[in-house]
Amino acid sequence: MEETPDCLSPPPHAIILPNLAPKTPNIEAFLTSISATQTAPPLKLKTAVDDLRQGFLSWRIWLALGYQDIRLRYRRSQLGPFWITLSTAIMIYSMGFVYAKLFKVDLSSYYPYLAAGLVVWTFISSLILESTETFIENSGFIRQTSLPFSIYILRLLTRNFIILLHNILPVLPILIYYKITPSFLSLAYLIFGFVLLLLIAYSYGLLLAIMGSRFRDIKPIIASVVQICFLLTPILWQHKMLSERMQHWTVFNPFYQLVELLRAPFLGQVPAPSTILYCLCLAGFGLGLMLIVLAKSRHRIAFWV
Amino acid sequence: MSKIQLSKVTLDFPIYGANTRSLKKSLVSLMTGGAIRAEDNRITFIRALEEVSFELSSGDTLGLIGHNGAGKSTLLRVLSKIYTPAIGDIKIKGRISSLLDLGLGIDSESTGFENIYLSGLLRGLSRKDIDAKKDDIAEFSELGDYLAMPVRTYSSGMQLRLAFSIATCFSPEILLLDEVMGVGDASFVEKSKQRMSELVAQSDIVVFSSHSVELIRKFCTKALWLEKGHVKLLGPVDTVLAAYDKANGIKPAATRAKPASDHV
Repeated sequence: MEETPDCLSPPPHAIILPNLAPKTPNIEAFLTSISATQTAPPLKLKTAVDDLRQGFLSWRIWLALGYQDIRLRYRRSQLGPFWITLSTAIMIYSMGFVYAKLFKVDLSSYYPYLAAGLVVWTFISSLILESTETFIENSGFIRQTSLPFSIYILRLLTRNFIILLHNILPVLPILIYYKITPSFLSLAYLIFGFVLLLLIAYSYGLLLAIMGSRFRDIKPIIASVVQICFLLTPILWQHKMLSERMQHWTVFNPFYQLVELLRAPFLGQVPAPSTILYCLCLAGFGLGLMLIVLAKSRHRIAFWV
Repeated sequence: MSKIQLSKVTLDFPIYGANTRSLKKSLVSLMTGGAIRAEDNRITFIRALEEVSFELSSGDTLGLIGHNGAGKSTLLRVLSKIYTPAIGDIKIKGRISSLLDLGLGIDSESTGFENIYLSGLLRGLSRKDIDAKKDDIAEFSELGDYLAMPVRTYSSGMQLRLAFSIATCFSPEILLLDEVMGVGDASFVEKSKQRMSELVAQSDIVVFSSHSVELIRKFCTKALWLEKGHVKLLGPVDTVLAAYDKANGIKPAATRAKPASDHV
């Protein structure tokens, strides 16, 4: 669908195709079985890039929709979105005591570690889970408008970012109590980490949204994988609790690196160079893969939702 | 100067039933290989449009007629760039606004004013544009103080009034309409028909689908008769409607005798 001004077509006023075909319904003709590979179009990278660009430019729409999601969820409740803060606070404060006792570790190092890690993990995991059904959730919009598809992921990011801001609040008293003071450098890395994590969530979120709308099994698969990853990633337990040999292996866990990207700056530290490099590679790979998949499937998504 | 050109547009609707959609099938077919795999790769398609070609330029008003499932709504969605056809070529010049679903972006928990704002954004307007239109929408909908209340407190007629007022207050170059004429109670029906006529007059090109032959005759200069995705007939509105009536066993005199307003 190119918007070009040239005009070479049959005269508009002529009566064309006085179809004198048989009057009986010919179902076979309309219910054709065609091989899926037969209609594979050329890769349209331009349409994918246009989609992303138009999506960013429509920031008013996704900010409004993302904000609306939060407002509607807590409309007429007394605490409003601060229910998120309250429930996270209760979870962190109670879990901290129990697990510090179980692991027999010093509360002053474990408490901040758990609180920051848990909040970052909640952000990452809900983004992954909700990504897989983004297009299905927005099917009303997708079937009625030609808004860019990236808008729906940006709506999801907006919504979860607002939730994250509420989740961070209960972490702050712990950081203050244990006198963890942020340095200028760690604050800079915190912002950098957020931008990088959002970029990763954007890329992989769109990928998951496309896959999730085409294959409805993706969502339950991802849900169970995410649950296992929570236990395999140092969040409830500390990285340093592992043996030295095991510590080398966790480096390959993408969730460890993603959590560490934000947890370290929260704890007033600077993330390891390997973590930053890993996340940069993850973002680059995801962005590239997402562009290709979006270019290949963009014109089909409306049929899938 | 707006323009729409369709040449030999064919749209196949993939049907994902229990047999093709699951990942398990894909994985199983990957492992079994051979003959079964070739068969599993086949997806059933419904041909919703076949070789549809026409050209519209400024001043044209095209009415789409045809039975249920003839492809009218699908064609409007192709023109709205929602469905991309696998075969054929589409060239569109001009800003499109489609009123396919009046309730789009209407959220029942938000107030009338909030809905006006959000719907405006969804139609690509800036905050300033919406503020300029807000009073007009409020006045036209006649909802008064209700606009500050959540839409869920509205009666269904009031919800339609709001949706209609929002959807029709913007003037597009190309207007695509799907059976949205005449909503609400008797007085509002008259008003909405008036608004529709204005909107049609303001737009460069209008493509309008309806089962009501009278509405097509009233608003359109051309008509396109779709049957099972094919163009059965395309031409001046009177010629096509006469053939359509004849095919449906309606005597031309009978339909003409009825006043247009009864049909809405």
